[in-house]
Amino acid sequence: MTPTDEIPAKLREILAQVLGAAQDGIGPGFSAESAPEWTSLNHLMLISQLESEFGVFFTNQEVQQLTSFDRILAALAGRNQIDS
Amino acid sequence: MSSEQQIDTSTLQRVVAGVGTGQPWSAYQAAARVLDKIPPDEIPERLRARVALLGSFTLDPFLPVLRVEAARVGLWLDTYLAPYGQFLPELIDPESGLYRFRPDVTFLAVDSDVLWNQRWAELPPITSQPVVGGLLTPLFSGLDVFDRAGSGIVVVNDFVLPRRSTEGVNAFRSKGTFAHTVAHANKHLRLRLSLRGHTFLFPLADVVAQVGRNHAFNWRTHYRGHVTWSDTLMAAVAERYVGFALAAIGKATKCIVLDLDNTLWGGVLGEDGPGGIALGPQWPGSEYVDFQRELLDLQRQGILLSLCSKNNEGEVLSILREHPSMLIRESHLAAYRVNWEDKATNIRAIARELNIGLDHMLFIDDSPHEREWVRRQIPELRVPELPADSSQYATWVGSLPSLIVLQQTAEDTRRTAQYSEAREREEYRSATGSLEDFLQGLVLQVQIEPLTDDTMSRVVQLLAKTNQFNITTRRHDETTIRRHLSAAHWRVYTMQVADRFGDFGLTGVSIVATAADHWRIDTFLLSCRVLGKSVETALLARIAADARQAGVNRLVSEFIDSGRNQVASQFLANHGFTLIDDGQWERPLATPGPEWPSWIQEGPRTRYPEGPREAVPR
Repeated sequence: MTPTDEIPAKLREILAQVLGAAQDGIGPGFSAESAPEWTSLNHLMLISQLESEFGVFFTNQEVQQLTSFDRILAALAGRNQIDS
Repeated sequence: MSSEQQIDTSTLQRVVAGVGTGQPWSAYQAAARVLDKIPPDEIPERLRARVALLGSFTLDPFLPVLRVEAARVGLWLDTYLAPYGQFLPELIDPESGLYRFRPDVTFLAVDSDVLWNQRWAELPPITSQPVVGGLLTPLFSGLDVFDRAGSGIVVVNDFVLPRRSTEGVNAFRSKGTFAHTVAHANKHLRLRLSLRGHTFLFPLADVVAQVGRNHAFNWRTHYRGHVTWSDTLMAAVAERYVGFALAAIGKATKCIVLDLDNTLWGGVLGEDGPGGIALGPQWPGSEYVDFQRELLDLQRQGILLSLCSKNNEGEVLSILREHPSMLIRESHLAAYRVNWEDKATNIRAIARELNIGLDHMLFIDDSPHEREWVRRQIPELRVPELPADSSQYATWVGSLPSLIVLQQTAEDTRRTAQYSEAREREEYRSATGSLEDFLQGLVLQVQIEPLTDDTMSRVVQLLAKTNQFNITTRRHDETTIRRHLSAAHWRVYTMQVADRFGDFGLTGVSIVATAADHWRIDTFLLSCRVLGKSVETALLARIAADARQAGVNRLVSEFIDSGRNQVASQFLANHGFTLIDDGQWERPLATPGPEWPSWIQEGPRTRYPEGPREAVPR
């Protein structure tokens, strides 16, 4: 399990790798609307990469909603508290 | 990337060096984006392969993985991905994107859902027959159509049972189960693919077994977006696909150069002595016996084995000849350099002796120091990282992507024998005086015959890979040849060469396009094994004689400089052709010759058949 304080950095890294965006441009406010590479296919792969990296799984509803840095971070942080 | 910088194998390898086995898909995706930054028009032609993917599921995420694995072996891929699930229409329609793309290799990635969907209407069928026929019949019609376009090789995977069956303990009694359908489909797929020349079976079931079925499929991404292969399976499949791509463009390994101490046996011969090295039925010697067995499997397919070792030659030869557990013997070796010279010098000497480019050779040595040194000296040589743990050697060698042989011809299986004959021939040469004496003493024999079904694959192979003595370097494929033969436009001459030391096999090809008053030599090539024996004069003399008999008044041809065929540049001028204009050469047949060389005997003559031919004779 990734320690809670390392989640944002790891999330930034995965978003950068999957979407080809610069890491410093990724943070609060970064979302599917602002990132042209955040296509439905990349979203699908992104979710799966997050699931394996953080050892979680997202419900169908979450998969559809987790389209921004803030929402993903909130979901991961919440998951971490419950699981630990 | 600066544009002055020459892009080569190592440029590509550096980009992907950080991405390795076990890393998530996102790492591949990131590395592929770095590859995207290299301007495609700066990638030299020799590093490129055209790869088409047709799938029954979503393969878009597989593309970056494949491109990264290709870059790892120094290959740049131009890729084409067919629209989702369109593998049958793309194959069948000559207007499709697939045909326009003209791939070197086409991969059909088909999952067993295509069988399931065919089958699972309302009632399970009593037998799997119609289900399998329902898929394979259109698939093979598609392959037939695609074959006629003559576009590279096609690789089709076998079907894999994706999870444990719920069909019950009695399922094995029934012919209508899904498990039976998969087995039945595989049996027929294997059979039908084996009857075709340019199609190959991709062992997906074996790759799934290698990564473990529970790790091979990602059911979340499968259901969310038809991305069925897991990160792990994508990487494992890509590694093996790359081998096919290398082979399809003629970049596979032709010769393995082997170290001896701690590579082919355990221990150091010079220190431990013949009785002290580890090689035999018991551990630790058994690890090396198995490794040798794998290497011999490769040798049997036509990959040459050679030795490069710092040892005393006499001691090594007695191991090769006398050690009871040595599997690789002197007769399996195309060349060896056992001495105290540096290994790069020795490897270059082996390359020269075998007339094989260093970029088609692979060096296996247990010493990281030797590997690194040789890598620096010969950057184009393949020098993979042999595992430090010798129990892994036998498994490891099977994972090297460049050790793949697509076409096996009679010449391939005889090749090692040919090299040892060449050693004897060379000894004879240094013992005789003039070149003429040498050639007379060789007792050369040639047999010139029309192309047959039996020689087709060898002819296609020579067309595909002959670079040096090749006046036009036209890479005609089998489809093109058959089309021209059946329209009676072409005569395809083949030449077999032998001398008193052995048989060179089919080593000369000429394609002649016939017209009423002139014959055009479209292709004229010799394998480098028979250079310097004037056999090309014999072949041309035969063509000229046939042309005269057909009432033709001149031969025409051209020399197309490929940058690698300088050895053939004087061929036309030396045989009475004169340059007319614009690269066109002509030789009037009223002028006598060319003379059949006096030191060459002609084998039994086969008359060239006249008129159109449906198929080539056997």
